[in-house]
Amino acid sequence: MSSEVSNNFEQDAVLRASIDRSLRHPVMFFLTSGAAWLAVSIILGVISSAKVHSPGFLDGCGWLTYGRTQAAHLNALIYGWGFQAAFGVIVWMLSRLSRQECRASGIILTAGHLWNLGVSVGIFGILAGYGTGMQWMEFPSFCWPVLLLSYFAIVVWSLVQFKVRPEGHVYISQWYLMAAMIWFPWVFITANVLLHMMPGNPVMAAGINAWYKSSLIFLFFTPVALGTAFYLVPKVSGRPIYSYSLAQFGFWTLAVIMPWAGMQKLTGAPIPYFIPYLGAAATIMFFLPAFSAAVNILRTAIADPEVANNSPTLRFTMAGIIGLIVMAAAAVFLNIPGKTLEFVQFSMSGYGFEILSIYGFFSFVMFGAIYFIVPRVTRREWLSRRLIKWHFFPSVYGVAIIALIAIFGGIQQGIGQEEFEQSWSEVAKRAVPYAWAITIVWCFILFSNFFFFMHLTVMWLRLGRRSTHPTMLVSGHHGSPHGDDGDIDNCGPGTVSAH
Amino acid sequence: MSFRTFILSLSASFGVAWLAIVIVPYFKMRSLEPIAVEEGDGTNAVYIPKRAGRIADGAEVYAANGCYQCHSQLVRPTYAGNDMFRPDMGGIAGDEERGDTRRETNAFDFQGEKFAQIGVSRLGPDLSNLGRRIEAIYAKGANPETWLYGHLYNPRWTPDRRESSCPSFRFLFKVTEIKGNPSEESLPFPVEAGMEIIPKSAARALVSYLLSLKKDQPVPTSLNFAPSAAAAPKAP
Repeated sequence: MSSEVSNNFEQDAVLRASIDRSLRHPVMFFLTSGAAWLAVSIILGVISSAKVHSPGFLDGCGWLTYGRTQAAHLNALIYGWGFQAAFGVIVWMLSRLSRQECRASGIILTAGHLWNLGVSVGIFGILAGYGTGMQWMEFPSFCWPVLLLSYFAIVVWSLVQFKVRPEGHVYISQWYLMAAMIWFPWVFITANVLLHMMPGNPVMAAGINAWYKSSLIFLFFTPVALGTAFYLVPKVSGRPIYSYSLAQFGFWTLAVIMPWAGMQKLTGAPIPYFIPYLGAAATIMFFLPAFSAAVNILRTAIADPEVANNSPTLRFTMAGIIGLIVMAAAAVFLNIPGKTLEFVQFSMSGYGFEILSIYGFFSFVMFGAIYFIVPRVTRREWLSRRLIKWHFFPSVYGVAIIALIAIFGGIQQGIGQEEFEQSWSEVAKRAVPYAWAITIVWCFILFSNFFFFMHLTVMWLRLGRRSTHPTMLVSGHHGSPHGDDGDIDNCGPGTVSAH
Repeated sequence: MSFRTFILSLSASFGVAWLAIVIVPYFKMRSLEPIAVEEGDGTNAVYIPKRAGRIADGAEVYAANGCYQCHSQLVRPTYAGNDMFRPDMGGIAGDEERGDTRRETNAFDFQGEKFAQIGVSRLGPDLSNLGRRIEAIYAKGANPETWLYGHLYNPRWTPDRRESSCPSFRFLFKVTEIKGNPSEESLPFPVEAGMEIIPKSAARALVSYLLSLKKDQPVPTSLNFAPSAAAAPKAP
């Protein structure tokens, strides 16, 4: 009996190691180029934010005018960092969950280069003055088929793997990731075909653009991050999910409610009257899927507070889940018709909410996943717990400050706009102090991501520690900062083909 | 739950919303039905919004330079904000010829554009009636084009705008040698002797587009939500 168990354990370890090895190059490519785009995006964010309070900064150059750098900043964040981090995590996690080696890593890697080419040309196009002027779709219109094609070439293998997997239980993470993989092309094709190829009423086109933005947040980034968190937390803490029925509830409320959200951006615009209010209601109801998933994940993680605190993966993931709770609270707070909706409709609150959802929630879960995946696919351990801490603290405080400042600054702006007896220059001045704060904080985040990018590049070059002890965030000098021997599952007793 | 059911349920939950708020409204609004100017007045006159200028290519310059990041183009009805109460946002409160011309944005107002630049944030003022505002207020009596070229070149050049955070669009202008008489479009900013600053083609398109923004023309009765003259509060 015992030999059978250990035999299964060894086979499992070999299978996991071979899955990791088959995906090493695509996954590391997505994660490192994603991190590089994140740095590009933050630099553009600093430049744009500085221009809000100091319009003379880098003035008079078409490439660096505010309207272009701000668009490039967000597009680099979404398509450069967000999607690539998601790709890296999706292909790896779905391979692991379907227990299949990836046989198409060459194609995925090639498609990843194509995606990067599309994003680079797009960002270059925006800065050169060929942007389309549709938010989050500013890439020149020839870019989207390239992105769509490479998207399919990247994720279709995960669907194939799912189809040919050994029979068995379908885990929550698989629902979320598969759903995101289906929703995204649907939303992307709809928005791009309608807006670029079938021009209709310009106001409704703007509505579809607002729906596209909201759908990317709620139907791609949110499910990818939740699927990832549902994988990482039980895996690291070694405990089953707190409640399976709660997870089901969270998933289906997300699927049913969130496609309706987004058009509240057009409240008062000449489109059918019910649509913006439906959008506001759906966005408010985001608290249902968000809180149920957050409670579920946090209950699982805090069962063992020490692990949750010491594991870099769990620490980042938990920070992301707390980001999710704040994001859901903001979704309620910012969308109450007659109270806040019209204050924040044309203010920096929207930016704050976007940063909160993409950085404060999604990216933190992705960082958690990166700290988990990279040692497994490179078979090296993270070099330094200090670098991880330097990544964690400025990022967490930074993004919290940016999101809250932008959200509350936006409300101040909105209050000013409603004071119709004040002159417009009084209204415009209200945004300036908040913009100063945002610039300074982006600099801190840039600083923290410098450590992250450096650390990740070193790992990519396989210069990580050759060790079987994972890097843990134990503070102080007592004891070893590294975990127990064999904690990492591809270097445990089953390590047969280490090379 | 089988994979098939999963996919079908996902498609259904998404598809309903997709049809109801995206596809059906988009295709229903693709061709707006003509609206009679005055219902039951015995004529067949329909409302044809008037707009003149280089709208299509000016809108492209507007979009490519990200003007929508700081400027909105939407005058919301009173149930969704106080836009209508600003004296110069939805029109001109005290227009010399027409009285109060303020009104909210309607679905015909973006005619000639592919995409309505509703806007992201209002770091700058709403531009729905910029053309009207320049003519009636900012450049009163002077040439509106000259005023707007000057504003785009240096948004902080007049003392009352020294705190504007609008970026300078100097890159839409060029400095050239004066040949013969100076250009009518040359800007009144200091430059080397014998040279002048004139707008490039993109700046001309943009200015033409911005001056076309006069969304306060009279609208047919069925689109006119203004309170009747008797019900309106008296101006202070």
